[in-house]
Amino acid sequence: MQNKEKRINNILGEKFTAYLFILPSLLALAVFMFWPLIRTIYLSFFSWNMIKPTKTFVGIDNYVNLFKDPLTYKVMGNTALYIIILLILNCVAPYIMSFILSMVIKKGKGFYKSVIFLPSVISLVVGSILYLWILNPISGPAAIIAKFFGLTLPIWSKTDGLVILVISLITTWKIFGYNFIVVLSGVSGISSEIIEAAKLDKVPLHRIFMDIVLPMSSATGIYVFIMTIVQGLQYVFTPIKVITQGGPDNASSNAIYNAYQEAFVLYRTGNASAFAIVTMILFVILLVLEFKYVERGVYYEN
Amino acid sequence: MKIKFTSELKWHIILILFIIVSLFPIVFAISSSFKTLNEAYSNVFGIIPNSPTINNYTEVFTRLPFFKITINTFSIAACVTLFKTITALFAAYSFVYFDFKYKNIIYFFLISTIFIPFTVTMIPNYLTISKLNLNDNLLGVILPQLSDATGIFLIRQAIRGVPPSLIEVAKLEKIGHLRIIKDILVPLVKPAIISTGIMFFINSWNEYVWPVLILKSKENFTLPLALQLFISSEGGTDFTIAMAVSVVTMIIPLVLYIIFQKYIINTFASSGIKG
Amino acid sequence: MKEIIFENICKSYGKTKVVNNLNLTIKEGERLVLLGPSGCGKSTILRIIAGLEDITSGKLYMNDDCVNDVPSGDRNVAMVFQNYALFPHMTVEDNITYGLKVHKVPKEEVKKRLEAALEMLKLKGLENRKPKDLSGGQRQRVALARAVVKKSDFFLLDEPLSNLDAQLRGHARKELVKIHETCGQTFVYVTHDQVEAMTVGDRVALMNEGTLQMIDTPHNVYNKPANVFTAKFIGAPSTNIFPVDYLDGKIALGNQNLILPQMWINKIVDSGCKNLYFGIRPEHINFSRIEIDNAFKGFVKYIEDYGNRFGIYIEVEGNEIIAMCDKNQLKSGDIVYFSPDFTKIHLFDRNTTMSIGYPEEL
Repeated sequence: MQNKEKRINNILGEKFTAYLFILPSLLALAVFMFWPLIRTIYLSFFSWNMIKPTKTFVGIDNYVNLFKDPLTYKVMGNTALYIIILLILNCVAPYIMSFILSMVIKKGKGFYKSVIFLPSVISLVVGSILYLWILNPISGPAAIIAKFFGLTLPIWSKTDGLVILVISLITTWKIFGYNFIVVLSGVSGISSEIIEAAKLDKVPLHRIFMDIVLPMSSATGIYVFIMTIVQGLQYVFTPIKVITQGGPDNASSNAIYNAYQEAFVLYRTGNASAFAIVTMILFVILLVLEFKYVERGVYYEN
Repeated sequence: MKIKFTSELKWHIILILFIIVSLFPIVFAISSSFKTLNEAYSNVFGIIPNSPTINNYTEVFTRLPFFKITINTFSIAACVTLFKTITALFAAYSFVYFDFKYKNIIYFFLISTIFIPFTVTMIPNYLTISKLNLNDNLLGVILPQLSDATGIFLIRQAIRGVPPSLIEVAKLEKIGHLRIIKDILVPLVKPAIISTGIMFFINSWNEYVWPVLILKSKENFTLPLALQLFISSEGGTDFTIAMAVSVVTMIIPLVLYIIFQKYIINTFASSGIKG
Repeated sequence: MKEIIFENICKSYGKTKVVNNLNLTIKEGERLVLLGPSGCGKSTILRIIAGLEDITSGKLYMNDDCVNDVPSGDRNVAMVFQNYALFPHMTVEDNITYGLKVHKVPKEEVKKRLEAALEMLKLKGLENRKPKDLSGGQRQRVALARAVVKKSDFFLLDEPLSNLDAQLRGHARKELVKIHETCGQTFVYVTHDQVEAMTVGDRVALMNEGTLQMIDTPHNVYNKPANVFTAKFIGAPSTNIFPVDYLDGKIALGNQNLILPQMWINKIVDSGCKNLYFGIRPEHINFSRIEIDNAFKGFVKYIEDYGNRFGIYIEVEGNEIIAMCDKNQLKSGDIVYFSPDFTKIHLFDRNTTMSIGYPEEL
């Protein structure tokens, strides 16, 4: 692939046109992505409520307070819980499902692919509202079914832990389809001959999955893993904002929602910025890990 | 052979169950939107309403400038899609076929934008938009959405699949870049461009975070914002109307998806293979 | 003069030198073939002419102008790519005329050139087909047509026949020569196939590892190779090459001697070399089971039957030599005496691998 790239790159040499073509995209990114990044870092060293004409410099106080505040740890704990649940539902489950779809299922693959992906195109606000009603502990369809079995649904929007689970489920409804399609292509990319050889050797299905499929599609797997964490945590913002607003008592808030709350509800931009930066650093660590594993070492599918 | 069949059957059943659960909300929303409030409570599971009504839909129009809201959503999505798709096409072309200083650094920065959560950019962007007096303005919603590098990756991936000799032929014929893009490249990567555009449109249509920060007055709302007006944590009395609004919000993305699904699925299948 | 001149051209990718100090003149109107093994740089040279590769150092002249910085589109060059590079979404007619239309060549002229090209390349009736509905041979002809209608000074072909079936190749070779004779441009032709090179080229430029080994007519390249590489590359089976030492009118191979004719002795003495490589083509070796005068003695290792000829593998003093004959009575293990046709031997300086030349009489 490398020599081909070189060939492609040497075709056209006008530097001006090159820069011109990337200019609009870069401009948009510079103004609304990179400049704000710098500005947020800057703001994180101040205390400011977005309205006062002057800002108060506080040095690293915001960061220090962040690490001292018990709320931070509650929020981070929630974030960890979100991550775990999202990974199980949107990384592990799609893997298993795409393995089944490509190895076991013979007919109707196209149909399943289409239908499983479908919820991914629907607004998460719609999803939140639909599930808010469907999972309504008193009069929603789920409650009715539960009553049929003699159970009552807890008021999940007021229950610690459970609220995180439900919000994760709602977010899963949206992102599962997309993750599934990506993982499926990674899994289907594995040469069928290898699988057939394993089947001829009577290797049991779950071993084929663990020892062959998983390692050979690891580039895709890592991509989905990282995307689920980075994008997933941002996606859950919507159901949190729409349904619980972080409650009860920040039980459903996470790193993303908390920063939003600090900024636009409590007007403490310094705290919000510091929190956002810390969150981003966590993501950057993931980026470093991704480059380490995806760009070298790990088995590379075609 | 028989054993194999039943084993496969069991997976089919599991998958079908999964699909039923996952599509149930959509079906439920559509059917509830045509029910009266009473029936919605009494006949929860009936898919076809016993006494169907379009009251919910007409109610919406009285309570909100619903037509305008829909137009707003559409305009924003259209502008964002047009800008992002075209600029992504040109940027991707530049990355593949040009060699310029800092190219790799710039590309690296492009990739890294995925890791910037919106909480990092929201405050300054809000301040920028306020300074430009675009609060509560559609343009204020459009502008920040334009900064998105994902289109560049997808289209670049597709362009790299085009044999370089085709472009070399054009270069030998002294054909200019715009012509190359128009006559040679676009026809060959049309599926990728279409699906990228469709996804941009759908994502912008569904966008909630940024509009909720910027838009204040109802006539400037987008559909997802309008939908939120019908929520109270307990569900509440407006739920069938909320279902109607949900359906309207879902329709365009669903229709686009049904028409273009082959393109969309194929393009996103290849996005996981980083290159 | 519509020549292409390479002056000390070097091309490197990073640290890898792909073209090494190339000095070459391609004459107006000739068919020059660039021949060599994979990776020898021949395609790179072609692409340098086309302007698709930058020049690391040195100067390239076309039509007496230095064109190092001239963009491809301005070099008046037409190129046929190995994979034909047809636009898959355009018809045959659009493929051929696309360049002309973009440059607003008048419609009648476009039509005229199109018709001429379709006629010349027997593509009539295929105008509205798309490349995917064409055979390999037809696609190749469309690529040629596209290059022909351009009416450029220089015509570059990058292994144009290598993707064709063997049977088509012979026919296509003749067609290419015919096109050249009709259009009269300067052809620069890259191939790794010797037979193609020898039959198509007015001159053959043999490359190896980025360095020009020899440039001359096919006849000379075959019969008077300039160095060991050329001797071994050209011709199949390969020229036999083994080390010998010269002493007093004789060449010594291990313990055996061979007396040389005077013309060769003079040549060797003139060159001042004592350590040589001796080259002789398999078909120029005389051999027999009976002892003959002034011959080497070896034994038969094995025999290959090609159907119309036999290849006899002989081992002598630790070297393996192949001789060819039409009829064979030898078998493995036989002692055999062989001597070369002295009008067809090649001698090379062992230190430089360069030929010491040929006596005037030859």
